[in-house]
Amino acid sequence: MKLGRRKFLGLGSAALVGLSLKSGKKIEGSFVNDSFQMGHLLRGRAGFPAARRIEKFPVVIVGGGIAGLSAAWRLRKRGFTDFVLLEMNAQPGGNARWDENEITAYPWAAHYVPVPGPRAEYVRELFEDLGVLKNAQWEERYLAFSPQERLFLYGRWQEGIEPAIGLTRKDRDQFQRLENLFSKFRKSGSFTVPLELGRSSQFQYLDRISFSDWLRQQGFDSRLLNWYMNYACRDDYGALASDTSAWAGIHYFSSRESEEKGPLTWPEGNGWITRRLLERVGANIRTSQMVDRITQTRRGARVFAGDTEYRAEFVIFAAPTFLAPYLLVDFPQLQDFVYSPWLTANLTLDRYPESRGAEPSWDTVFLDSPTLGYVDAMHQSLRTHVDRTVWTVYWALAEGAPAQNRQLLLEKDWAYWKEAILHDLERVHSDIRQCVSRIDIMRMGHAMIRPAVGAIFSVERRRLRRLNDRILFANSDLSGISIFEEAQYRGVEAAQKLLKRLHG
Amino acid sequence: MGILVFISVLLVAACGLIYELVAGTLASYLVGDSVFQFSTIIGTYLFAMGIGSALSRYINRGLANRFVWIELLLGVIGGFSSALLMLAFAFTQGFELILYALVLVMGVLVGLEIPLLMRIVRDRYQFRDVIAHVLTFDYLGALGASLLFPILLVPRLGLVRSAMLFGLINAGVALWSTFLFANQLSATRGLRAACLVVLCALGAGMAQARQITATAEDNIYADEIIFARDTHYQHLVLTRFKDDLRLFLNSHLQFSSRDEYRYHESLVHPGLAAVPAPRRVLILGGGDGLAVREILKYPQVESITLVDLDPEMTRIFSTNPMLTKLNDKSLLSPRVHVINADAFPWVDSNTDNFDFIVIDFPDPTNYSLGKLYTTAFYRAVSRHLSAQGFVAVQSTSPMFARDSFWCIAETLKQAGLQTYPYHVYVPSFGEWGFVLAGTHGYVPPKSLPAGLRFVSVDGLPALFQFPPDMAPLPMPANQLNSQVLVRTYENDWKDISH
Repeated sequence: MKLGRRKFLGLGSAALVGLSLKSGKKIEGSFVNDSFQMGHLLRGRAGFPAARRIEKFPVVIVGGGIAGLSAAWRLRKRGFTDFVLLEMNAQPGGNARWDENEITAYPWAAHYVPVPGPRAEYVRELFEDLGVLKNAQWEERYLAFSPQERLFLYGRWQEGIEPAIGLTRKDRDQFQRLENLFSKFRKSGSFTVPLELGRSSQFQYLDRISFSDWLRQQGFDSRLLNWYMNYACRDDYGALASDTSAWAGIHYFSSRESEEKGPLTWPEGNGWITRRLLERVGANIRTSQMVDRITQTRRGARVFAGDTEYRAEFVIFAAPTFLAPYLLVDFPQLQDFVYSPWLTANLTLDRYPESRGAEPSWDTVFLDSPTLGYVDAMHQSLRTHVDRTVWTVYWALAEGAPAQNRQLLLEKDWAYWKEAILHDLERVHSDIRQCVSRIDIMRMGHAMIRPAVGAIFSVERRRLRRLNDRILFANSDLSGISIFEEAQYRGVEAAQKLLKRLHG
Repeated sequence: MGILVFISVLLVAACGLIYELVAGTLASYLVGDSVFQFSTIIGTYLFAMGIGSALSRYINRGLANRFVWIELLLGVIGGFSSALLMLAFAFTQGFELILYALVLVMGVLVGLEIPLLMRIVRDRYQFRDVIAHVLTFDYLGALGASLLFPILLVPRLGLVRSAMLFGLINAGVALWSTFLFANQLSATRGLRAACLVVLCALGAGMAQARQITATAEDNIYADEIIFARDTHYQHLVLTRFKDDLRLFLNSHLQFSSRDEYRYHESLVHPGLAAVPAPRRVLILGGGDGLAVREILKYPQVESITLVDLDPEMTRIFSTNPMLTKLNDKSLLSPRVHVINADAFPWVDSNTDNFDFIVIDFPDPTNYSLGKLYTTAFYRAVSRHLSAQGFVAVQSTSPMFARDSFWCIAETLKQAGLQTYPYHVYVPSFGEWGFVLAGTHGYVPPKSLPAGLRFVSVDGLPALFQFPPDMAPLPMPANQLNSQVLVRTYENDWKDISH
């Protein structure tokens, strides 16, 4: 008899303190911004309409991500306005796309830029232009507010993502020794942002092995250290340390020495930069214009999009380079361009989950989670009182082959990913299902270039970078890593090159 | 007869559950951490019921008599449990000890009830019917109680009277049992007398419940609580002792009516009286209207804009007679414009200029409030300052939180302002600090409004002198990306509080 009553007492009281299992709040949502269809259309090369109109521009930019927008920004800043930028999606921005709801603006992909060092001149120039850098001071409200990052491990919260609690003496020693190594690499001056300015053959050997192999060779076997290194690679490259070039892994930790506690961030992530760039170059942009063919002529190039043929003297190809073989006639298949598939989800929260004593942070990460954690869009709000918010969950599908994971992205329905995300969050926020009212999910088959072994010093890449033809390549994948600074550098460089040729 | 026995079972089960819920709820209210409280109390209670069941086998004679006594005991202990716990929390150090002792005793008694009752009635039914019927009504009683408790009892009767009501029911069952089991009882008359005594005691308790609660709460909050409300933004408590009104926001003292004039005169007059011809004044925070009261002493001031987050706060201080007496109905003045908004976004979006700005926020106890003490915020505020204007900032205690005070001063300085820190003694707070800041030099005023009780022209210069134990310390400025002030403040107070 006691058993029955015990159960009853338990449930009855639990209801009083709000522990009862509510009958699952309804969670709305869907896939958004899918571009699979368009991509597959290209691969099939089927049914593109014939051009019915001809328009002439000295310059056509293909692709409205950060590279394309930066090229446009530089052209206009130099007083050159006679160009058009063609963007496949309805919304420009690429990996710096954003959206907003009644609560806040929020990012769809990249959500921060580390405070640029002195060598990232183009980025500094842009930020001066946008009012982020004023009189050598970084605008405080664009720096990530404190507390910036937190990690959940062993049932507890800690500040920062690098594991700091539960470390054995060995763990500590290895973290210290690795930091010393990174510090040496940093001092060598070979690991820079942008890559181009530092990369030297002195360290080419690091591009021939994977980051995990290099760590093993150096005797790093601490589990926590390896988790953290893997986290960094998944976060910046969408790849495991074993699928990442050691050179790129080291670059992540050795390329920056910050002059201010950052990073720079906004509620809509790098979407904020996109918005500011659109204010400056929006007049030159045509969206929902899928380019299906580009041909080179003796004195220029022809770009076909929809029912229009654009005749240009020069084309800046700022779209992902893997599209080139599908768009350009006689373009060789690419060997060294591997892309990581990703998924991002934006969760609308009607309230914050119980925090168990931890202050809500900008970026939250769980140890051993398959996801990369989430970012709180309201963290950069200046308000003292915040009820509702939007969380962006990042998930690089790094485990396994990219092609397989792209298949997975295509096959599984929205409910599958919704449950996967909630399960992950539930490990830490037990009441998350009572807080979330909407989950929108964006699937990206080719989200970012992967700096696989050999990618950084790839001959194929170097050839495309140096190409000085009618078509100039400008995507960040030419650098081999997909970060804002590289995209911006490639875009501005292409524009510079082009201006030089236009003006003789 | 059968159904009457089973109704007893139902009532007894309901009582048992109610006592448990009362203990859990009270512990959650008073100590907090409801999950912990409910878990441990349910666990202890069930464990004690087990002990009771085990003990029941040692009761071999006079089952019915013992059952009646157990019911009576439960009626008394359970019925008074809530009152006892409240008083224990208010007047003793050993709340937890008393709580778990009570839970244990009640659990043992409840554990005894059902086994005894089953044995009392087992001769009248088949064994399987006894089990089936007793358990059915046991569970029904538990269901009834668990629904009644949150829906009716707690909101309508409160915890003290709910427990007593069920104590009465327990005692009622005891009395009733003396008739039900009359043929198995001895000394029936004595039992009934005892039942009546218990019933009377509990009845009297019910009548006095309000007094008991009041006595206990008075002691918990030191002073009588005359007003308590959870607004959307904060927990607001107003207490009174004789003529001393005190306001607590999230249990932090905001003012005591005995000495708040020292605080508010010091916050306003050193700065405002130094502004030539002030016309427009802005107050950020300060929804109690007390700083407004001081500002209204300047007839030149044409308009006062008060921006406070919490509409409940400004509403109460505009309508409650006790409070409007304190602030002289300042919030009702036609010169005052109350805006309920979050300060930082408001400062960002508004474009007006002001000759004097008062910043009177709660201390930087968390990262949210910390945003209102940053260089970014002070820069935004200083854009609203007219050329002749000053900002006065409440800056916590330079004595108890010396690092924090000088951190705030440094923050204002790095926001591009000239700073003039000063301090006053407010008995209910201790030494308290302010920073006056502006874009030009400060000269103490030569005249002040009439009728001030603390600030005087002669006394002003001394406020700007800091003795060695509060003297300036080199501190970094507080920024949104560092929030050093929140960490500093936490350390400062950790050193001196328990």
